[in-house]
Amino acid sequence: MNCRECVEHLYEFLDRELTPQLEQDIRAHLEDCPPCEEQYDFEELFLKFLRARCRAQGAPPELKKRVLRELFGE
Amino acid sequence: MANLPPPSPDVSPPVDEKRASFEKEALVHLDTLYRVALRLSGNPADADDLVQETMLKAYRAWDQYEKGTNAKAWLLTILRHAFINEYRRRTRHPETVDVDTIEPFAVFSEVQDDDPQGAFFDKIVDDQVLGAIDKLPEAFRETLVLSDVEGMSYQEIAGILHVPVGTVKSRLFRARQLLQGKLYDYAVEMGYIKGSPA
Repeated sequence: MNCRECVEHLYEFLDRELTPQLEQDIRAHLEDCPPCEEQYDFEELFLKFLRARCRAQGAPPELKKRVLRELFGE
Repeated sequence: MANLPPPSPDVSPPVDEKRASFEKEALVHLDTLYRVALRLSGNPADADDLVQETMLKAYRAWDQYEKGTNAKAWLLTILRHAFINEYRRRTRHPETVDVDTIEPFAVFSEVQDDDPQGAFFDKIVDDQVLGAIDKLPEAFRETLVLSDVEGMSYQEIAGILHVPVGTVKSRLFRARQLLQGKLYDYAVEMGYIKGSPA
């Protein structure tokens, strides 16, 4: 595995969409390659940040009531 | 004229059972449906209506859903159809985007010397992030929200959007890079990080 291949698979790795073998090859490469590891860390932190910023909001309580009323007449 | 088939016997489960399984498998996804509806429609009133309509359609079709499979993906498929058929025409228009202008990992290469951990992102508040997502082209926005906010797999997203898995991958890559670029520009503008807007 070289750096280009490693970076190519970056998001698939972080999204846990790779085969176990490829995942293992990437882990091995990252252990030996600080620049690639740094880039992986950056993107991983970005995805965590994104999820944290976007999940605070849920359905308003009024909507839930409205749905229940409409479905079950409550 | 051919004979009509005999009426099928009523095999629907009793109402209480239907309601219980719907609550357990479908209503628990209300938050997800609302978040996706809000990002698709762009305003809370339409998001409310879209979710309401999705739940009604889903309840009516509940006997056709194979229990215990993937209610979240099934509901999101209904929601997206409803959005495309009834809301998109009057709310937003699908934009075209010149995908070739997006440079791979442009933000990381910009900040790797000064802020390789991307600490500047932490200063950006929820509303700014949501606003930046809303400015993404629709095809990118829906892919990113399903993946990065709702945690769906490539395969699930491909099923919901009716596109190949490869398309999900490439849209996700571009959506993330585009969003990072927007947030980076904003951070520079606000003085959260030194640099020149791309």
